[in-house]
Amino acid sequence: MATVSFQQASRIYPKAERPAVDSLDLQIADGEFLVLVGPSGCGKSTSLRMLAGLEEVDSGSIVIGDKDVTDAPPKDRDIAMVFQNYALYPHMTVEENMGFALKLAGIGKDERATRVREAAKILDLEPYLSRRPKALSGGQRQRVAMGRAIVRNPQVFLMDEPLSNLDAKLRVQTRTQIAALQRRLGTTTVYVTHDQVEAMTMGDRVAVLKDGVLQQCDTPGALYDRPANVFVAGFIGSPAMNLVTGDAVDGGVQVGSAVLPVPRDQLTRAAASNGKVTVGFRPESVRLAGPGEGLPVRVDVVEQLGSDAFLYTSLADAPDDVLHSADLVVRTEPRTPVTTGQQLWLSADRGALHVFDAQTQQRVD
Amino acid sequence: MTIASQSPRDALIAAPTVVSQLDPDRPPAARRRTKLTRNNWGYAYVAPFFLVFGAFSLYPFLYTAWVSLHRTSLSNIDGGTWVGLENYRNLLQSEFFWNAARNTLTIGILSTVPQLCMALGLAHLLNYKLRGRTFFRTAMLMPYATSIAAATLVFAQLFGRDYGLINTMLEAVGLERIDWESGTWTSQFAIAVIVTWRWTGYNALIYLAAMQSIPGELYEAAEIDGASRWKQFLHVTIPSLRPTILFTVVVSTIGAVQLFGEPLLFAGNGTTSGGSSGQYQTLGLLMYQQGWSNFHIGQAATTAWAMFMIILVIVGVNAVIGRLRARADR
Repeated sequence: MATVSFQQASRIYPKAERPAVDSLDLQIADGEFLVLVGPSGCGKSTSLRMLAGLEEVDSGSIVIGDKDVTDAPPKDRDIAMVFQNYALYPHMTVEENMGFALKLAGIGKDERATRVREAAKILDLEPYLSRRPKALSGGQRQRVAMGRAIVRNPQVFLMDEPLSNLDAKLRVQTRTQIAALQRRLGTTTVYVTHDQVEAMTMGDRVAVLKDGVLQQCDTPGALYDRPANVFVAGFIGSPAMNLVTGDAVDGGVQVGSAVLPVPRDQLTRAAASNGKVTVGFRPESVRLAGPGEGLPVRVDVVEQLGSDAFLYTSLADAPDDVLHSADLVVRTEPRTPVTTGQQLWLSADRGALHVFDAQTQQRVD
Repeated sequence: MTIASQSPRDALIAAPTVVSQLDPDRPPAARRRTKLTRNNWGYAYVAPFFLVFGAFSLYPFLYTAWVSLHRTSLSNIDGGTWVGLENYRNLLQSEFFWNAARNTLTIGILSTVPQLCMALGLAHLLNYKLRGRTFFRTAMLMPYATSIAAATLVFAQLFGRDYGLINTMLEAVGLERIDWESGTWTSQFAIAVIVTWRWTGYNALIYLAAMQSIPGELYEAAEIDGASRWKQFLHVTIPSLRPTILFTVVVSTIGAVQLFGEPLLFAGNGTTSGGSSGQYQTLGLLMYQQGWSNFHIGQAATTAWAMFMIILVIVGVNAVIGRLRARADR
């Protein structure tokens, strides 16, 4: 059990133009489940590997518990890692795989067997202990990789996209199992994923990275409700938040022929840099309005999911403007009688508008 | 999203159903026949290889077996007299054969074991990111590209009794000079050095290729599990290379049984006796001596077949070991 802290930690690959991880500052509490999320190449895996000791730290430092591990080799960090492809030793049985670290640590055969069996019990792996990874299914391999980490009873678990090789159904199932297991063991966990749904459902807190820079680190609810900038707003949530940019006019933001109402002081601050304002609203906070009210849009695609339906629309009166032709997604009740090509009018709930400075991309409250 | 994730799965499920619907309509025999006819072109494509193989490998191979059952001389191969297995009995009773077999075995062990161990070590070093590793990799293959004759002549000079570099160096550090060529162990050691020099790089490159296919994640996992470099080599590299190691052992063993050029040229005078008392006469040399010095081509054919049998036994033992290990793995 330990806290983890990144202090201005940076990693610059040789010959790279910009750092892969740029002055990362992150405090992770004891027993916390922190998820690092972001698109490919955002530096989330690199950050995790820096914590693991598999990647050098070019500047700044990393502390686990009260020990500065910046230059310590992986084996002196008391961490366990679950790899994306599991990295199970192909020539060892499940039992040997799970007990390998204990064996290297010089722990006796009997204790090793006891601890492996305990972990195997937690993960339902007991019938497979004498099998080799080759003879296991993807889900079982994933559990062995988890077991290998649990057996060591480390201070920190590191997980690098451990679910990305499972099929969709198993992924959802394993997702909750891992989260439950972590709560039960109470071990500090850093989890990397590119899937924002995974991040939102599993993490106590979620850190969003882009281009090696930490964008925002907060609870899933706070990320969703108050994204710090346009990137986080667009990244968190599925389908993504609708983001439109327009000129600040009297009473709101001009989008096509309509004006989205934004309070005056918020508008003034948001438009301070170049007069343009980015406004975001979630698909679920859009209402269908009466003809002639709000934003006129044309329905392009209707997606029926059973529990709800999503309308993919584009602004009806500004087809040529690249900025404004962005899709607007609307969630409606399922079985709404809407057809492709139909014209609709949308209005967003007043309190649900997110306002961003179009120049700095930062949130304005 | 849902549509996209559904359709490939549907396709996968749909494909086998179509096949299984067709199956019960046709009797299995008919299907096998259509398969054979359909493969006719395949046979046509592999035919050239088997024609050449038949003419230059299979025919000589069987002809050698036939010759080995005759007392016949080089000048009149087809005119020999049938003697049945007498050549084989003679061979097994011949002290020359057992001497050559023993020499082949000791030279084989002296060359193969250090050669493969060194190759493994070198491959491990070359697998690290080092500056100019392309140069080192090319350099590794240089001995293999050298002609046996040239290499052996140089080594024969180095191991020379009177003016050899090695003896000069031994003397320089206060040791006695060694008559490498005349001693049994010294001459076999010298020949083993030549073989090792020539083949180490070749095997190292094979190991290196196999090492590069080991996923890096395994080493990272081992590192996090607390394995030192040496333990990683022991617990990750070696087990992953096992099939490759088995392959190189088989190939090197075959090479060792057929060893011929090095001992022939090491003598320096082109004789096939393998030294004054046959101290380094290998089976290859013995066969050559029987056939081309003593003109007993039937006897030489018998030795050739004996060598083939030895290789067959060794490869068979290796295959059994490999099979047993694979079964243990399961």
